[in-house]
Amino acid sequence: MSAPVLAGHGLAKSFGATRALDGVDVFVGAGESLAVMGPSGSGKSTLLHCLAGIERPDAGQVLLDGERVDQLPEPDRSELRRTRFGFVFQFGQLLPELPADENVALPLMLGGVPRAQAVRQAREWFAPLGLASLANRRPGQLSGGQAQRVAIARALVGGARVVFADEPTGALDQATGQEVIRLLVDVTRRQGAALVVVTHDPQVARWCDRTIEVCDGRIRTAQTAATDAAAATDAAAATDVADVANAAVVANAADAIGAAGPAVPGGPVAPGGSGS
Amino acid sequence: MRALDRTTWTLSWRLLRGGGRVGALGTGLAVAAAALCTALLLLCVAINAGFQDRAARTDWRGPVASAHPVAMQAVSTAFTNARPVTVVDLARLGAAKVPAPPGMPRFPEPGEVWTSPALGALIDHLPRGRGPALAPGGGERAGTLGRAALTRPGELVAVVGHGPRDPAMTAPREADPRRPGDIVPPTPIADFDGRAEKWSAGGQYTALAKVATVLVIVPLLVLGASAARLSVSRRDQRLAALRLIGATPSRIAGVTTAEAAVTGAVGALFGAAGYAALLPLAAAVPVAGGHWYTADLWVGTPTLLGVLAAVVLMVVGSALAGLRQVVIGPLGVARRAKPPRMKAVRAVVFVGALALYWQLTKDKETSIGSIVYFIAAVFLTLSVVGPWVVGLLGRIVARRARRPATLLAGRRLIDDPKSAWRAVSGLTLAGFVAGFFALMTVGADASWGPANRLALAVPEDRVTVVRAEAEQRLAHAGVRATVGTDDAWIATKGDRSRQVTADVSGGAAELDRARTALTGLVPGQHPVTGADVDWSGTVFAKDFRRAILAVLGATFVVAISSAGITAASAVLDRRRTYGLLHLAGTPLRVLDRARRIETVLPVAVLGGGAVLTGIFCAAPLTLAGGSASLDARGAALLACCLGLGFAGLVGASALSRPLLRSVTRAGGPRPG
Repeated sequence: MSAPVLAGHGLAKSFGATRALDGVDVFVGAGESLAVMGPSGSGKSTLLHCLAGIERPDAGQVLLDGERVDQLPEPDRSELRRTRFGFVFQFGQLLPELPADENVALPLMLGGVPRAQAVRQAREWFAPLGLASLANRRPGQLSGGQAQRVAIARALVGGARVVFADEPTGALDQATGQEVIRLLVDVTRRQGAALVVVTHDPQVARWCDRTIEVCDGRIRTAQTAATDAAAATDAAAATDVADVANAAVVANAADAIGAAGPAVPGGPVAPGGSGS
Repeated sequence: MRALDRTTWTLSWRLLRGGGRVGALGTGLAVAAAALCTALLLLCVAINAGFQDRAARTDWRGPVASAHPVAMQAVSTAFTNARPVTVVDLARLGAAKVPAPPGMPRFPEPGEVWTSPALGALIDHLPRGRGPALAPGGGERAGTLGRAALTRPGELVAVVGHGPRDPAMTAPREADPRRPGDIVPPTPIADFDGRAEKWSAGGQYTALAKVATVLVIVPLLVLGASAARLSVSRRDQRLAALRLIGATPSRIAGVTTAEAAVTGAVGALFGAAGYAALLPLAAAVPVAGGHWYTADLWVGTPTLLGVLAAVVLMVVGSALAGLRQVVIGPLGVARRAKPPRMKAVRAVVFVGALALYWQLTKDKETSIGSIVYFIAAVFLTLSVVGPWVVGLLGRIVARRARRPATLLAGRRLIDDPKSAWRAVSGLTLAGFVAGFFALMTVGADASWGPANRLALAVPEDRVTVVRAEAEQRLAHAGVRATVGTDDAWIATKGDRSRQVTADVSGGAAELDRARTALTGLVPGQHPVTGADVDWSGTVFAKDFRRAILAVLGATFVVAISSAGITAASAVLDRRRTYGLLHLAGTPLRVLDRARRIETVLPVAVLGGGAVLTGIFCAAPLTLAGGSASLDARGAALLACCLGLGFAGLVGASALSRPLLRSVTRAGGPRPG
């Protein structure tokens, strides 16, 4: 594997007496996707916050393309989040007043790109993400899945090196969630960006190249995509037979988009091909 | 009503208590707004009631002629130390039983003088020869008038008893149209019911109080509505959680009603306490020549309860209206469809109201009461056209925006023009008030004669005699004065009358001595200067300016409070989106700039329009009064108001910046 785009070494973070992270090492490469799993309160969100520059770790280092970023002052970290990182949250990240294309264009405009050019660039993302006819709609007029796809476009439109997704399917039904995570993994890979997904859902994690499980602020297990997918499938089979049907729906959705995945506007060719 | 059962109240109470820091802030602001609203509403009602009470207590001084009289009554106005002294002359007719005048235990006997407490103190305080000559020979101080005879605590009133054949009760007196109520000829009366003087200063004050109330109440209603919506906006997530666990829409409405009722009621109670605490201060404000009896400004328990209930109902109604605008999905997502475009008919309504107002005020017969209602109507149509203008501005700004902050501001104005209007409506309405009063200055030019020239009206055939006696009396009193005769109009004259004048040198004390010396020279007449003739106009002009400042102060305080509350409410409304945008690296200064633009731009446009509308509404009234020019004082007042208002708005908006930073710091990526 190439040199990691983003790496965290010996990350530690406490909130009062609670130790949220306790010497965590983590890395993710260009075009690679990493799922961070773990029970509630395990420290997985704190890990995402430290890696994304939202929180400063008490100890350890965060390196982006080999440069230390955890010690930057807040304004610089804020700019880093805007220019080098992209974010997809569970919901509510889109401005309800702006139509979808302007929501996507916003990071470009914040970076100084003229409005007309920013909107044009933003609209290039709509067809690949299956949003071609929705560019003028407001978030309130979009379904949950459509809104998340707009959020994916916004996360990637500025050429982010790393995309952070915190429970990106948490507010969606199973089938839509699978479709969204598949698109997210695929599009980030094709852009050559790294993807960090925090989730508690094995069905989401199985789409990622690697999965780590955080427990009590430490990494308990690190799994490859193959073992992760098998475990997830076993778990799903044991707990809910309906998920088998969902898997079929996801497969159909993937087929509909095309085996090679969506074309990424201006993005480099992904090294790994399809993630499924 | 099942939706307001015990469970609902318990739930609402727990939600109110468990809202955390942000919840407590929202509740506190809502309570404060309701309190301010209540206190100012009560003061508005109190001032109107106070003027009515004052006017009711002067009715007895306007005698009604009776076919079966038991007494004679006349009124004149003397002056001392440049203050008016109302002198009521009374005489019993025959042996009939005569009712006691208001504020007196019995009818005065001939030669008796009853004085108000303030007049009594003044007479005791002034040196001999300077006090007002109330009765021939000075009279005998027999007692003090009670409150029922007086409009206010410091009023100078004397009731003088006469015999029915005394010159004071038989000599004709001409009423002066320039000072209604100051002079009343001897009139046969059967009781002291009296009647209100139609054109008296009391009527002007009552009209002024009504206009002021209208101008203050509309921004107050806006403030109350803002407060109620603030309490709705901060509870959407919790209500969504209730929906998720199966609460029915009526239960949600019940919780909203209960919560709004509790905050509204607590605010209203604080407001009532504030009103009670402010009563002594309000009573100390001199209006129409003096302070108030505190009891006159007490609205009474039924009115108090009525105002409290109205405030609570308004808060609950606004909260329910705000709730209806947000359809909350089970996952707490406020789903918003494409906003309906504001219809241009709103602009037509506004223009139509202006045209109607202009047409009606052209008619000289239109009463001041009707004009007040039309001013209120124009004022309210500002609220109709406001959202339409905001939407139009939003479309222009969004189309031309090049920067993210401008684009955000423009889109927000388009997205919810009514909400954006609410943020700026207070100041827009205050702009109307400022424009209205900037033009409407009341002049008090005492142009009737020099301030040191005393005059008495004298029948032509007696001029020589009166003039000679005046010179003699002044010389005897040791007053240096030049006595003359002319045909000017200082003293009240009938046909075939001239006026004898005395130009007094030596200042106010000498003038008072001259007044005392000349009183009684012409029966029933007190010598007056040009300034005396216009005394009520002078006092009214001062009071008018004070009222302007009070109304402007109140409207701007309410408007700025309203803007601050709305700004805080908007931050709380969008706290999750703001938090996530910040996490994704959006600089807070961009959000600040967007919030500033979306407030300042509509205020600049709408405020300017409202000022012009206010000037437009004031113009017909001032034209009727003969002075419709924007003088330097009016322009300065307008500039001060606009400058302070604008600074206040920016300040109120800036106050919500720490709140924005607080909610963005607190906001995690998970739904909170």
